Amino acid sequence: MQKSRRFFSALNKRELLLPALFLAPALAVLLALSIYPLIYSITISLQQETVAGITWGLGNFARLFSDNFFLTALGHTFIYAISALVCEFLLGLGLALLLNNQIRGRGVFRASLLIPMMLPSVVVGVVWRLMLNPNFGSINGTLKQIGINTESLTWTASPKLAMLSVIAVDVWQWTPFVFLVLLAGLQAIPQEPYEAALIDGSSRWQTFWHVTLPLLKPSILIVLLLRTMDLLRVFDQIFILTEGGPGFATETISLYIYRTAFRFFDFGYAAAMSFVLLALTNVISAIYIRLIQAEPN
Amino acid sequence: MRTRTREKYQSANKLAHSKATALLRYVALVAALLFSLAPVYWMLTISLKTEVEQFASPPPWFVFTPTLEHYYDAFVARGFGDYLLTSAIVTVASTACALIIGTLAAYALARFELPWRLNRRLSLWILSTRMFPAIVTAVPLFLMMRDLRLLNTRASLIIVYTGFNLPFVVWMMRGFFADLPRDLEEAALVDGDSRLGALVRVVLPLVTPGLAATAVFCLIVSWNEFLFALVLTQTDAAMTLPVGIAGRVTQYEIKWGVMSAAASVAIIPILVFALSVQKYLVRGLSMGAVKG
Repeated sequence: MQKSRRFFSALNKRELLLPALFLAPALAVLLALSIYPLIYSITISLQQETVAGITWGLGNFARLFSDNFFLTALGHTFIYAISALVCEFLLGLGLALLLNNQIRGRGVFRASLLIPMMLPSVVVGVVWRLMLNPNFGSINGTLKQIGINTESLTWTASPKLAMLSVIAVDVWQWTPFVFLVLLAGLQAIPQEPYEAALIDGSSRWQTFWHVTLPLLKPSILIVLLLRTMDLLRVFDQIFILTEGGPGFATETISLYIYRTAFRFFDFGYAAAMSFVLLALTNVISAIYIRLIQAEPN
Repeated sequence: MRTRTREKYQSANKLAHSKATALLRYVALVAALLFSLAPVYWMLTISLKTEVEQFASPPPWFVFTPTLEHYYDAFVARGFGDYLLTSAIVTVASTACALIIGTLAAYALARFELPWRLNRRLSLWILSTRMFPAIVTAVPLFLMMRDLRLLNTRASLIIVYTGFNLPFVVWMMRGFFADLPRDLEEAALVDGDSRLGALVRVVLPLVTPGLAATAVFCLIVSWNEFLFALVLTQTDAAMTLPVGIAGRVTQYEIKWGVMSAAASVAIIPILVFALSVQKYLVRGLSMGAVKG
């Protein structure tokens, strides 16, 4: 133990040289590709182009509060994130509880569930455009076959159903991930608490509520954190499926930032909006991390 | 042990109840399988159907005459062959860079006691850079690449993906290094090896499975990446497969076969990769937070 500490500790400057050399390239890359862009982004968010030239100020941030498109996109982002999170969590937990047993063909099942979540998001978009196409998509085609009138079911082309459609696609792709993490969590729970509950004669529901759920809480928090971060920044599938439309019906904040920067070339305003998104994800992840750290071990 | 307790638990309940549960279990299993796979299968059939059968009603799920014309059309007649090549080059190059740079940093963080609690602080800082939403850095990176005259080059994507994958490599490899006992390196050092020698000859061979799994994850992420590729490359010479596919979706709505063929090809490497890292999947997707 004594020896091991001496081997790895950096007691003098010579000993620091090697780890410093090992760390330098990584830190340089991250400074250049994460920190510098962030600073660059701050400076452009503080600039506005006017007839008199570039002026500095908080104009871009002030605009946010009166921009109804921005506020609507923010609202869409929350609706999207919360609905998808709730569905994915409940379905994933249900499946994990149901399948936390020895089951024949479990390997095949696991492997098949991996497919949706590993697909490129562009391919997910293509897959579901084909499924949801109102005229020859397989969903409406199959519904027609069993005698359902599909005239009003235009899915991604309908202002009412478009949001529902993009949420369903996210649930399709990411429920397996929630399921796999929660299954791993369930299998890490020791048997003793269950035996104790059995001896106490508690019902299934009581066992679930007082034994399983508290012991699964760390896994639940981690998977909710990871999904929330991804959902708040969603871009790819919605871009392919609806491009934020029809009209503005599925425009989330990432799509609106993209449009502002790369269609209207208003980089300063786009940067200002991106800081709102960054602040939002930071605050929410900080809350989750606080909760995770409050867990024993 | 586990199953025995569960069996006892089940036998305490009514037998009918457990039978109903077992049935429910298999129904859920089959429903989940169908729900996961049917949409992907449908896309594969579209890529193999003639245009007449693509638009047929009722939709032919199983019986149709397969054709490879859309694959020929996409990869020979149109530019998808180039996009495929760009995707492959960018994916492999950025993964290699991220692995080399990230593994060195991970080793330093896992094995050296740095002053000022830097091990923990640097690790958390590196992790936090991965948490930025992509669109936040996409805007300044576009402007930076424009200033450097690197827009529409493969180099720009290799650089950006290296930075994107780096935090992931550091976190995963830090975990794999920490799982190894330290005695092995000490023995190598006693035998007169240098620390670098100990890393290359003793430690790396032992973390090869972890390194391979990490590499596969980087390959998947780079292969699938869309937003940076969309922002940084708009010409045929530097466009990746996802951007090429997305362009067809929005421009030529009618060419479903070409689009499906390209998308089906884009899936192939991912399937191979994903199945090869099944064991590490949960750990990888949660940045090492869950060791499932």
